[in-house]
Amino acid sequence: MTRRHRSNVLTLAGHEYRSAARSGVLVLLILSMVVVTAGAITIASFDFRAQIADYAAYIAQAKAAGATVTAPPLFFPLQLLRPVFEYIQIIGAVIAIGLGYLSVARERSGNTLPLILTRPVRGRELFLGRLLGATALISTILVVTAVISVLLIGLVGGRWLSGAELIKVAITFGTAVIYMLLFYALGTWLSARSKVVANGLVVALVIWLSVVLIIPQIGDTMDPDNQVPGGLFAALQVQKPDEKKVLAHFTTYETIRNTLEESSLTKHYERLTFAVTGIKDKYNGKSLGTIAHAKRADIESIVLYMALMSCLMWLGLRRENATRKDTR
Amino acid sequence: MITTAVIARQHLRLLSRSQTFLLMLVVLLGMTALSGFIGWSSHATILRVYDETVKTLTAAGKPVPPNPFAYKPRLSLLNNMIIYVPLIGALLAIVIGNMSITGDRQAGVTRVIFSRPVLRSSYFWGKVAGSAVAGAVIMAACLLLSVIGLTLINHGPPTASELVRLTAFYALSGLYLLLFTLIGIVAALLTSSQSLGLFAAVAVWALITFATPQFTSGLRPVASLNPITDPVSVSHSRFFRATSKAKPIAVNEQYKALSSRLLSQGNDVLGAGAGKTATQLAPILFFVLLLGGWAHRLIARRDFSEETARD
Repeated sequence: MTRRHRSNVLTLAGHEYRSAARSGVLVLLILSMVVVTAGAITIASFDFRAQIADYAAYIAQAKAAGATVTAPPLFFPLQLLRPVFEYIQIIGAVIAIGLGYLSVARERSGNTLPLILTRPVRGRELFLGRLLGATALISTILVVTAVISVLLIGLVGGRWLSGAELIKVAITFGTAVIYMLLFYALGTWLSARSKVVANGLVVALVIWLSVVLIIPQIGDTMDPDNQVPGGLFAALQVQKPDEKKVLAHFTTYETIRNTLEESSLTKHYERLTFAVTGIKDKYNGKSLGTIAHAKRADIESIVLYMALMSCLMWLGLRRENATRKDTR
Repeated sequence: MITTAVIARQHLRLLSRSQTFLLMLVVLLGMTALSGFIGWSSHATILRVYDETVKTLTAAGKPVPPNPFAYKPRLSLLNNMIIYVPLIGALLAIVIGNMSITGDRQAGVTRVIFSRPVLRSSYFWGKVAGSAVAGAVIMAACLLLSVIGLTLINHGPPTASELVRLTAFYALSGLYLLLFTLIGIVAALLTSSQSLGLFAAVAVWALITFATPQFTSGLRPVASLNPITDPVSVSHSRFFRATSKAKPIAVNEQYKALSSRLLSQGNDVLGAGAGKTATQLAPILFFVLLLGGWAHRLIARRDFSEETARD
């Protein structure tokens, strides 16, 4: 890429960023994420303190009664981030789709695209410029969220994160930027394809619902053992060997259920971040290398989705450029 | 009255011309069908798992426990709708609310309308009536599809009592969607740009749908997505015992609780438990009236003469 092309890409990215900042959207999105994440961490911290207080009361009662006591609840500060990642999974994806939609809607209502296309700007530069601008926007939102989260864990949770833990936080928020960019690309692609831009937003939201809720939920809801509180086999008082014998008759059903679950981008993002931060207990205290090895299938799936969504966004913008050029 | 009807019709025409209405109808009907399919599939599988368990236990000479699903209410097959309505339904309602104001502003329609002797309240009622009719048509179509689905799955039509409860569920869902349409309208009126209005409404949706249940019940965001997840599994520490006192005003929780009672319990909801039903319905009605009043006031005071919506 020549210096002129680089300069065009940076100018277009700056335009994308400034438009969102000027309209107040950036501030609103930062505020929204900060409010929900700060609330989530504060609630989780207070809940943990309350659990400790309940435990202390239980110890006093158990000692008075001369009974043996169970171990206290363990505190892993990174586990306080679980609701934050869940918010990124759900709300972060909606925000990213909205940003993609706005990027197209703004150009259409302001008629700025035909003006840009009168300049020596290539389609590739437009694509990279928008992607870079969106990366900067999403990164700004997530960096502020991450900083607030770390500060709150220290101030309210009462434990400052170590260097190794901060690296894990940086990795998971970096993954979150990629995750949100994928939904941004989806929003851009569908809005650019739609004659009525709002309809593209509606279709993108339906896909969001499928990826974030329906597909992972099918995995959970259609799991026979999730149908009864406490588990179906426990309710039927069936032991593990008998449970295995019964489930052997449902291998096709289980395969379909697992395949559906595996196809969800959100599930891959969740598994990776929960492993890195030790929210999933079995990865707590494991090295990043071990986790990367264990989660390579999730990493590969995210990379695959990145390639797919980049292609779709590229195609959507190419079509948008051609259409806008023709109509002028 | 005539002016209100004309504005409502114009709003409906805008939605149908842009095919947004058709798209929303298809989406919500698809969700209804999917909800029924997931309910039927998981229910049928559980029964087959139970049959296999009976065979295995009988062969081993062990006692057979009763089927935990034998008395499962027939309408509970649609339980997933309780989750789909506050998620996708509410977001689509926000889009309708946002479009009803910004669409007119962008096209310069408001200036034309108010160059005529049109009362501000007629404009407000026209917009609300148009959105309410659109929502009612969608909910009626979902109700019809649910009845067809339940008839096929249960090998017989719903009973009169089930039909009443199903109708009450979709009426409640329509009211809940109207709340979010009003949020979309208020957010669009409070902001000068379409994007800011849309995102502000989405932020309120996130607070109502995820942040409030987390505060009042300790439900993590993902846990609020699953109708099967047992809220008993969440923390019952002193903190949540204190915050749960705010539950009665959490509209999302009240909608889910009342919907769950309508689909899973018998006549109790509209009979002996009518008092509890009224308590659960009250916050939703209160916020609909509050937002309606606010939107009316904003429309009455706004200067529509020079502005155009920006992105």
